[in-house]
Amino acid sequence: MSFLVRRILASLLLVWIVASIVFLAIHLVPGDPAELLLSAGGAAPDPVTVAELRDRLGLNLPLRTQYGHFLGGLLHGDLGTSLVDDYPVLDEIALRLPRTLELIVAATIIALAVALPTGTWAALHKGSAFDRIAAATAGLVLAVPVFVVGTLMVLALAQTLHLMPAGGYVPLAKAPGQHLLLLAMPAIAIAGGLSAVLFRMTRAAVLDVAGRDFVRTAWAKGLSPARVQIRHVLRNALSPVLTVLGLHMGALLGGTVLVEYVFNWPGLSTPLLAAVDARDYPMVVGIVLVTSTLFLVINLVMDLLYAVLDPRIGVS
Amino acid sequence: MNATRRAFLGATAALPFLHVPARAQARPGYLRYGLSAFPPNLLPWESTGASAGTVKTLIGRSLVGYDKTGTLAGEIASSWGLDPDGAWVFKLRQDVVFHNGEKLTAEDVRWTIDQIAGERSTAYMRSQFQTLARVETPDPYTVRLVTKERLATLPSWFANYNMSIAWHKSDPKAPVGCGPFRLVGQERGTSVILEASPNYFKPGLPKLKGITFIAYPDENLRNAALRSGDLDMIEYVPWQAMAAVEADPRLRLDEVQGAAFMDVLFNGTRPPFNDARVRRAVAHAVKREDIVQAAFFGRGRPLEGVPIIPGTPYYDEQLAHGWNYDPARARALLADAGYARGFSTKILATAQFGMHKDTAEIVQQYLAAIGIQGELMLPDWSTRVSLGTRGQYDIAIHGVAADNNDPDGLTVVMDTSLAPTHGRSFGLKTPRTTEAFARGRAEFDQSRRIEIYKDLQRAALEEVPLVGLAWRSQGFGMDRGVTGFTNMPGALSTSSGSQLEVTAFG
Repeated sequence: MSFLVRRILASLLLVWIVASIVFLAIHLVPGDPAELLLSAGGAAPDPVTVAELRDRLGLNLPLRTQYGHFLGGLLHGDLGTSLVDDYPVLDEIALRLPRTLELIVAATIIALAVALPTGTWAALHKGSAFDRIAAATAGLVLAVPVFVVGTLMVLALAQTLHLMPAGGYVPLAKAPGQHLLLLAMPAIAIAGGLSAVLFRMTRAAVLDVAGRDFVRTAWAKGLSPARVQIRHVLRNALSPVLTVLGLHMGALLGGTVLVEYVFNWPGLSTPLLAAVDARDYPMVVGIVLVTSTLFLVINLVMDLLYAVLDPRIGVS
Repeated sequence: MNATRRAFLGATAALPFLHVPARAQARPGYLRYGLSAFPPNLLPWESTGASAGTVKTLIGRSLVGYDKTGTLAGEIASSWGLDPDGAWVFKLRQDVVFHNGEKLTAEDVRWTIDQIAGERSTAYMRSQFQTLARVETPDPYTVRLVTKERLATLPSWFANYNMSIAWHKSDPKAPVGCGPFRLVGQERGTSVILEASPNYFKPGLPKLKGITFIAYPDENLRNAALRSGDLDMIEYVPWQAMAAVEADPRLRLDEVQGAAFMDVLFNGTRPPFNDARVRRAVAHAVKREDIVQAAFFGRGRPLEGVPIIPGTPYYDEQLAHGWNYDPARARALLADAGYARGFSTKILATAQFGMHKDTAEIVQQYLAAIGIQGELMLPDWSTRVSLGTRGQYDIAIHGVAADNNDPDGLTVVMDTSLAPTHGRSFGLKTPRTTEAFARGRAEFDQSRRIEIYKDLQRAALEEVPLVGLAWRSQGFGMDRGVTGFTNMPGALSTSSGSQLEVTAFG
């Protein structure tokens, strides 16, 4: 069995384990979805009405029966429907996931655009004023939580200066300019921390590679500085940067919660939070399942990218 | 142009003076309204919160509603009253048309009541409508409701925003309404779009072409969106932001007092809170002004009695302070109950809402001052609801609004004979209060009702089905260009969405 097939099978097993743990855990947490739905806004629902709704939603069935239904649906590619409004979980994920991915990709592009040149420049000019200022800035950015950055951006750019909208979402096809405007602030807020991490990683990796024998040989051969620094130094320094990037992108799948909330970006995190609050079991399990799967896929893709960057690393 | 450091610094310094409102999405005649929560669903009869109620009251209408002063006013019903046999008779307007063009008749009212009172119903008003003996429709525009007992408050049932009348051939999962707006689109969790109904039965209304409701669960972002011009109007202006909205010359704050209140609930199934003297000790132990300041930034009022809305005929200034702050009396009551040395207890609240947590912390401090050592339990809201309904607490902090401004609207929070929920004290016995509520519902004479509800306040001050802590205000923030909207008084503030039919620009 090839490495790739074994990795995929192991990933599927992991996904099933994660889904089962989440399914059982969310059912064990106190809170009755029927009562919560009918208690919205502080209402005190009639217990008979709550019981009726529980029955209608199938919540009175034994847990193992509910788990069986869940697994049966999963085998058919059906994640069930929301307990709140009967909306298909897959449809919700299909609507929301691209927005979260767009946010992550935009943040990653911004972070890479900032971190790679500054990290490389700082390493090649180690000890310079730029290096010291960049290192201090990275430390500062890492120290400030992303929700603080987001809130300050809203306060300064939207509420005080009226330069940007406070948050929200417009589909790209409907208003491309407004869409990018609304994307900018949350993407920059996420990119801040990520770029600081990537800056440090790039700087350290470039410093490491720049001192290697093959780089010295390249200089001795009389290659141009740009060719040495980009082709020989930066390319070889990218492997650890990619490793860190892969891990962080995976983490961002679940880590955009606060940013999506602060900027009212209707990605996957917002319905996940709402579903946990409402004890909307199918929605929680469905979103976590898809997020875990994506995390594993990103890791697999990163493994394959190493091979592209460094041919000495075979897939096997 | 060459970019110089001086030019850059100059441009940066000028930034605060720039004003480029981000209003790209504004459309003439369409209101952009910031909801505090996305409606879980828009089923007309299920209780899914006040934000959902705002949207639902625009899609559907009922027999009666409230006008901007909080007085019952006809909607689908042109008149109503008691017939000689004691049944409630509603005469319907003959020009009401559903969004699908079908005329509304008494059959639609009967069908709606059948859906609500049905055995498998999950409607908010189900238990009330199950007390009807029968529904009669003597002609297409008359509905006669025969009650099992005398019932003075029946018309107000229809004014609840979970009570709209639907077309009798509707799919119960997607009932057709007859409100001023019709649903034209929604994105789950994000926005709901309404367009003016062309066949609304009130001439000249609605004044808006449409409303886009956008959910902003984060109150600070909702406020920022209003202040930056992304929204024309928001509900639940955060208390800490009300002064800034008032000070903003571009905005208007419409704030009412007494929209809701904070209270203490008790578990009466075991000592020490099964003893009314201990509950009264709690009532006298807390200085409410601190809650108003800390939890509501001064946007509220102390509540030292039964939560009867000030300004209504049932309000009594003396009774309203029956649980005044008096720590010496609180200690004496504890001693009288056999707890002179105090005791330890658990205070259930939630950390999910700041006002609940802040209130709980202040109550904890004041109880400690009379010898009651409270340990805070601050789970998430969902767990708080579950623990409350099951009586897994000693005392609990709660926040709630009455159904309406009539004292009968307090039944749902004060009548401890009703089945347990997280919003009422658990397992408590307060028979005089319960009996007073029943008498009030059965009495049609206004002056006698006033006396009954004063009796109720006296009974409740002794039996303590809950302890009132603080009224909290509720505010709508809007652009000054938005006109016609009125935040309705008292507990009806959450029903103010109906006012959007007379709201306009300019």
